[in-house]
Amino acid sequence: MTGATPLGRRSIVAISAGLGAPSSTRLLTDRLTEATVRGLAELGIETDVEAVELREAAHDIADNFVTGFANSKLRPLLSTVANADAVIAVTPTFNASYSGLFKSFFDVLDEGTLTDRPVLIGATGGTARHSLVLDHALRPLFSYLHAVVAPTGVYAANEEWGSADAETGLAKRIERAGRELAALVAAREPAAEADPFATATAFEDLLNGTS
Amino acid sequence: MQFGIFTVGDVTPDPTTGRTPSEGERIKSMVRIAQKAEEVGLDLAAFGEHHNPPFVPSSPTTMLGYVAANTSRLILSTATTLITTNDPVKIAEDYAMLQHLADGRVDLTLGRGNTGPVYPWFGKDIRDGIDLAIENYHLLHRLWTEEVVDWEGKHRTPLHGFTATPRPLDGVPPFVWHGSIRSPEIAEQAAYYGDGFFANHIFWPAEHTQKMVEFYRKRFEHYGHGAADQAIVGLGGQVFMRRNSQDAVREFRPYFDNAPVYGHGPSLEEFTAETPLTVGSPQQVIDRTLGFREYVGDYQRQLFLMDHAGLPEKVVLEQLDLLGEEVVPVLRKEFAAVRPAHVPDAPTHASLLAANGQPIAQ
Repeated sequence: MTGATPLGRRSIVAISAGLGAPSSTRLLTDRLTEATVRGLAELGIETDVEAVELREAAHDIADNFVTGFANSKLRPLLSTVANADAVIAVTPTFNASYSGLFKSFFDVLDEGTLTDRPVLIGATGGTARHSLVLDHALRPLFSYLHAVVAPTGVYAANEEWGSADAETGLAKRIERAGRELAALVAAREPAAEADPFATATAFEDLLNGTS
Repeated sequence: MQFGIFTVGDVTPDPTTGRTPSEGERIKSMVRIAQKAEEVGLDLAAFGEHHNPPFVPSSPTTMLGYVAANTSRLILSTATTLITTNDPVKIAEDYAMLQHLADGRVDLTLGRGNTGPVYPWFGKDIRDGIDLAIENYHLLHRLWTEEVVDWEGKHRTPLHGFTATPRPLDGVPPFVWHGSIRSPEIAEQAAYYGDGFFANHIFWPAEHTQKMVEFYRKRFEHYGHGAADQAIVGLGGQVFMRRNSQDAVREFRPYFDNAPVYGHGPSLEEFTAETPLTVGSPQQVIDRTLGFREYVGDYQRQLFLMDHAGLPEKVVLEQLDLLGEEVVPVLRKEFAAVRPAHVPDAPTHASLLAANGQPIAQ
């Protein structure tokens, strides 16, 4: 699409629940992000990317559970997610599921935040034996949140980072997932954070039970 | 402007001694705290309603009737009365009864309640929370303003030819505040009736309270009750004071760290930065409280949570001395100095009666 005029601009938030530094979860997140940005560019769309390391918000997320509200450090992060056109969500596999930190973050998001929002799921783990974590844990979570989950999720086992791609197909899976997410984003209007006050029901309608 | 205290009535072990008061001790202690509030010159005391331990005040009008008999000037209020799970007919009758016994020193704050099982225990469903608040209050309002009510709704047995008794004192129902932390529907409801809006405020960042109050004011004006800055707003607050602020922090920290609502989470310093909680000298409390006006506008009622998290009664009474003697007189003067003349006070029985002897405009 060299020389083509961009058809618009979208934002992606790329959430990594990796705990190490460097982290293979962050590595997968970045690869998925790049693939999505390429996919959107092919569709003539420019992309703003915000990368989020949940590790840095771990205390604030825990405080939200205890106090019932998001503190001033967490609120901008929640707002970033609410305003993003797509979410890339990647977790390490812990005990046959997503990590507690990963789940906790989605537990403190306001209800409805991800409704109809395109989401690309990814997970990392020691061996390929855990790869069904995508379909047994992540996909049901995002289905429950009414997100639109890209058909391809990407699981990367440790060994795949050092194997011939012809053997593992990791790069191909990443590329396909990125293109799928890009298509879902391109098919939607830009996202905006819900304003409960702008959409509040007038009293007569509340009283008539038509809300 | 009115200043008072509100309590949730928790029975919590004192984390510094491990001692837990009995329910009886706590209930009697709440009465003494209310009496002290009157003695130190505060305007009102408001009691919560709960139906699950460790909270004791399940029966607000029993409590308020007793407090009324033991005070002479204090306004008796609630924080909050459950409009969802109580029968509106009983609320209409209980509070009208209380008005007569307390010579009109009564208002109430309605809330939905956020304890899931309380709804089914009372035969309701928490998913109907907003709908219950809307329908039940509409009936309550009619029961107080109409002599004979014919009514059918979704959530209670129909009424035909029903008259709530006793009738409100002097034909003037108690002034109603609607409390909500995050539901625009409740601010909308308060605005529609021209009732007060109470923002608990104490566990939430200022910007959140600001948005709720701003919305209520706008809708109050929309429904023709006056200008937005004439809407009736109340706020919660939470303080712990000692003359020396370091002493206040040192003494309050174990209560904060183990408090039922927010304990074991953020530090005292983080929480005071994020919410209206102020732990320090009376002057710090004065400065912080005056600052609330900057984001909610001129408001009518400020309540403080003083007795919770296991604080001993003796300490609470000392806190009330400081509040009544050093803080509130300054707040009255400072708030009054900046308040425009067209901003009304919170309605009282006397002011509503003087206005026209008729129930508040709807």
